[in-house]
Amino acid sequence: MIDNKTLIVGGLIIAILVGVVAVFMASSDPDGLESTALIIQGGKTLTGPTPPDAEIVENMEGKFAYSAPMPDYSLGEGMGSMGGILAIIGGTVLAFLVVIGLVYALKIAGKKNPPNGVQ
Amino acid sequence: MHIPDAFIPIWQGAIYWIIALVFVYLSLRWAKNELNEEKLPLVAVLAAGIFALQSFNLPVSMGTSGHLVGGALVAIILGSPFAAVFILTLVLIVQGIMFGDGGITTMGANILNMGVVGGFVGFYSFKGLKAATGSMPVSAFIAAWLACLIPALCASVELWLAGTFPLQAGMIAMGLYHAIIGVVEGVITVAAIYLIVSVRPDMVDKGVMPAKVGAVA
Repeated sequence: MIDNKTLIVGGLIIAILVGVVAVFMASSDPDGLESTALIIQGGKTLTGPTPPDAEIVENMEGKFAYSAPMPDYSLGEGMGSMGGILAIIGGTVLAFLVVIGLVYALKIAGKKNPPNGVQ
Repeated sequence: MHIPDAFIPIWQGAIYWIIALVFVYLSLRWAKNELNEEKLPLVAVLAAGIFALQSFNLPVSMGTSGHLVGGALVAIILGSPFAAVFILTLVLIVQGIMFGDGGITTMGANILNMGVVGGFVGFYSFKGLKAATGSMPVSAFIAAWLACLIPALCASVELWLAGTFPLQAGMIAMGLYHAIIGVVEGVITVAAIYLIVSVRPDMVDKGVMPAKVGAVA
């Protein structure tokens, strides 16, 4: 058994380590969905390698377009892997905080409006 | 298997959003009623861990990579498919808004596939297999494998309905790649369960524990 503080600190350290290792070790091949899109567009075969210049054609006609602040988990070319590490750490901590924040918000809202309506 | 905005027409994305929101609402109710402050540290750490794991694209061979989903792990550890919906929804919101991983109009479909289908398939196949075999690792491995494969097949059906993928070719490619990723998902899920059970057995759902421990307690 470890206490809550160790769980949180240890858990976050493991998560951040996984993310940092991912910045250097993650495969640059397209993921399953992107690979499938490439096969369908004739950019690769089912079991063959992905050509380095393979690109997915995106038909944006009538689609919603959104530009994320840190696309592809990076802070842009200039920042290199340091940008990737910062982006991953930011996202990991943000995921952690969003859960804590939302659960507290739900609990506070629950206290204001008891489910049985009795105050 | 994060579907980008380009792959599904907005009106179809809206339908998946509506279905997903029903489950998101139910997951918020689960969080409000079932999540006490004692369990909160584990839930938040799981969200951080799943975010990190999903950023790690492992090589699958055949020019393809894949990352873990984590829906089965969360649902099994916390003892409810709604735990997976809750955590995966929040992770997908962070990924979509901050990192452009998965679209905005398609976020409903992604929540539906990885959170809802992944969570329900993972949880109930684990429950059924555990009752049948009595083995946590065997049940968790198969449940996690299914919870990786079946959401991928759902995504290929959605992309067929969207006119982006042909049905058969999409199912074969998505099925093949995620059947391989699912093996890693299974191994990591079992390892993570062992780790969490060993450090905080009090926070883990009783369904994970060996039957004899439950009987003694």
